[in-house]
Amino acid sequence: MTLIVQIIQFVLLLGLIITALAVVVFKDLISAAIALGACSLLLSLQFYLLRAPDVAIAEAAVGAALTTAILIIAIKSTERKEGYR
Amino acid sequence: MKKSIAIVAFVVIFAFLVLGVVQMRPFGEPENEDMDDHFLGDSQERHQVNNVVTAVLFDYRGLDTLGEATILFSAVSGVLTVLRKIKDEKEEVED
Amino acid sequence: MNWEMSRVVRTITDILIVPMIIFGIYLVLHGHLTPGGGFQGGAVIASSTALLIVSYGTLGKHKKDLSSIEAVGLTLFILIAFFGIGYTMFYNYLAGTGGIFGGTVPAGPNPGYINTGGTVTLMNLMVGIEVSAALSLILWMMSRESGIMEAKDKGSEGMEVKG
Repeated sequence: MTLIVQIIQFVLLLGLIITALAVVVFKDLISAAIALGACSLLLSLQFYLLRAPDVAIAEAAVGAALTTAILIIAIKSTERKEGYR
Repeated sequence: MKKSIAIVAFVVIFAFLVLGVVQMRPFGEPENEDMDDHFLGDSQERHQVNNVVTAVLFDYRGLDTLGEATILFSAVSGVLTVLRKIKDEKEEVED
Repeated sequence: MNWEMSRVVRTITDILIVPMIIFGIYLVLHGHLTPGGGFQGGAVIASSTALLIVSYGTLGKHKKDLSSIEAVGLTLFILIAFFGIGYTMFYNYLAGTGGIFGGTVPAGPNPGYINTGGTVTLMNLMVGIEVSAALSLILWMMSRESGIMEAKDKGSEGMEVKG
């Protein structure tokens, strides 16, 4: 059982690194916002495996839902593509 | 020059992180267990609450929760102040 | 810009919105028994509001209602904390008295009873009301000011702040 939990934690940490890199790499800002939401969701699963369910619920609600919604609203009112001027 | 500074900073910070991970205590074994036992007994005995986290949030450290609620209130006040519609602006838009 | 998503998204929103709100209320009311509490439950309720805004693009004209609900929640939270001033502020004066939320908790592991907790349960409720109203209000104002709701919400002059 412990080995399975450790394997899941390893996969989650790998996914955290990949999604955090994707946030930086993406030029499409909506894709970056969605990747940030995925990063928050994986982080909340990691919190749950570390036996902190309060922090997991708060992270899932605020990080994955509300932050993504606010970022998408802000992107819709400005520009979608990242540009250099 | 810039790249070498970045590489040095990366190596130093990574070394400190690895040092912190190596010196970490095993999971579930805090340094001081006396306060844990006190909270686990006292929250059920004196405050009649099963969830110790909620007892700490709203009873032992209630003033911190009050500060958090006040921060949220002032954030909403700031959003309402910045995003309000001024009358002149609206008329310009409608013209 | 007309912001209304497709029929699939709107139907799934209609189905999902009620369980989300009920789950948020459950998190708030069982804050003294299970993981969760006022802030988490309020954030879940506010995320249901976010789902409504993203899929439908409007929330109606409830800015003053949300603002009043938030202020009432914070004021009642401070009042409940202040009523224990005979001992200290945030003193749990309702615990174990047998009144409202005044049941006693047996020592050790137990299944959990909803009629316990004293002021902790009431404060959970007040913080839940305040957080849900505050986060919904932030989302509502941002979506209105970003031009998302201008296409559908033309007749909204009655609630705007007159400069």
